[in-house]
Amino acid sequence: MKSAFRSAICTALEFSLRSLNPNPYRKTLVLLPRYVVVFPAKPSHFTSMASSESGSHAPPSPTVLNLERQFEEFRHQLDDSGNLRERIRSIALEIESATRLMQSSLLLIHQSGPIPEVLEKAKGQIGVLKELYNKLAEIILECPGQYYRYHGDWRSETQTVVSLLAFMHWLETEGLLLHAEAEEKLGLKSSEFGLDTEDYLIGICFMSNDLPRYVVNRVTAGDYDCPRKVLKFLTDLHAAFRMLNLRNDFLRKKFDGMKYDLRRVEEVYYDVKIRGLATTGNTTGEQGDGGQS
Amino acid sequence: MKDAFSKYASYLNDLNDKRERVVKASRDITMNSKKVIFQVHRMGKHNKEQVLEKAEKDLAVVMNQYMSRLVKELQGTDFWKLRRAYSPGVQEYVEAVTLCNFCKTGSLLNLDEINASLRPLSDPSTEPLQINVPDYLLGIADLTGELMRLAIGRISGGELEFAQKICRFVREIYRELTLIAPIMDDSWDMKTKMDTMLQSVMKIENACFSVHVRGSEFPGSEDANFSLLGGLEIE
Repeated sequence: MKSAFRSAICTALEFSLRSLNPNPYRKTLVLLPRYVVVFPAKPSHFTSMASSESGSHAPPSPTVLNLERQFEEFRHQLDDSGNLRERIRSIALEIESATRLMQSSLLLIHQSGPIPEVLEKAKGQIGVLKELYNKLAEIILECPGQYYRYHGDWRSETQTVVSLLAFMHWLETEGLLLHAEAEEKLGLKSSEFGLDTEDYLIGICFMSNDLPRYVVNRVTAGDYDCPRKVLKFLTDLHAAFRMLNLRNDFLRKKFDGMKYDLRRVEEVYYDVKIRGLATTGNTTGEQGDGGQS
Repeated sequence: MKDAFSKYASYLNDLNDKRERVVKASRDITMNSKKVIFQVHRMGKHNKEQVLEKAEKDLAVVMNQYMSRLVKELQGTDFWKLRRAYSPGVQEYVEAVTLCNFCKTGSLLNLDEINASLRPLSDPSTEPLQINVPDYLLGIADLTGELMRLAIGRISGGELEFAQKICRFVREIYRELTLIAPIMDDSWDMKTKMDTMLQSVMKIENACFSVHVRGSEFPGSEDANFSLLGGLEIE
């Protein structure tokens, strides 16, 4: 039933479209329902349509006004939230640069810098971070309940912060920095502006990624007891993570990566032990062995 | 360490369970809102009131049965945290409500009005579920697709005036949204919808154009020709 007439109209229409359409590549728009071809119309139809068309030039109806008003309101709201987001992003950038300073001073640990000194320098940034998170909390408190609307804008920065803090904490205490402790370090309060638990856990996974390198370099520098300590810690951490029921998300992927860190540390420990280098920590070393199996 | 992690574990379990429940509620809302939309499309020249009445009744069921389930789950920061989980259902619901309302009143149902209708669902002590602006706008974007179908259907049903009205309405929405789309929270999603929307607008315009240009070439009694058309269209 595809008549020549119809296809002729189609082409004509397409041409007119091309000239009017700002996106000329869109050809699929020509949809001429079959019934249109044989559609009847009396002159009366014509007049009615003409009048309705010209109606759009007349002053807008209350319906249109109502619609315009609502959309204008939306525009204001979205502009406001856009500005808020800008402010959040600029703080997130500052957090990132503070984190980078912290990280660079912490990297000296791999060059056998004396631990207390290195930590001292890195800790200098904690105050800066605290202040920045304080600012962030203030912004978020302006729009209660919308923490997670903007969460994505400081998420990855915060994960890095957690990983560094946890690493420093481990260097000091050989224990894990807990969620509540991390919040306290950053001056966050769960009731208002807290540290998201998943961000915390991801940060901990990031920290585990740093440990193999640390162990390797410590051993090279002659610290043969280090692998045992790290292995014990990582084994416990890995066991603790296995208590979590994870979804198929980023955290899961990061946790899956943790076992490679564990294996690498095990290898280093093995290398050290089999050569009889880890003489000092022999007895406790066997405990570590027991823990990993 | 174990103690702390068992705390995290229960936090994650609760969160995941809740997310699952929200996803489920959202799916039910989507499914039943779709049914309402189909019901509206059954509208013809003569059964308008009847069809819309049934659609509204179905819509009330969606609200009381399924939206209320969602309302009960979401509290405080959940609105944004779990947005991804419930957003599709809410969008579909917005689409159904606004479509129904347009057919009845010829105007766009405002977000405030929808939110006001949801308020009785939550108990007064808790924060009421409020559909957020981006979800509402995404729903409106989908609405134009349904309106396009409705317009084409109405033209074949002989209700030119109605089709014209839809055309103006959809154009207006498109025009307003061009200003808003770039500043939305997830503007990428909206961008693709804007492209589809432009296509819908032009489909309606083309259909109206065809009738306008060629309608006069087929003189004859209106009713006789409509019945002829009806036969052709169903085929």
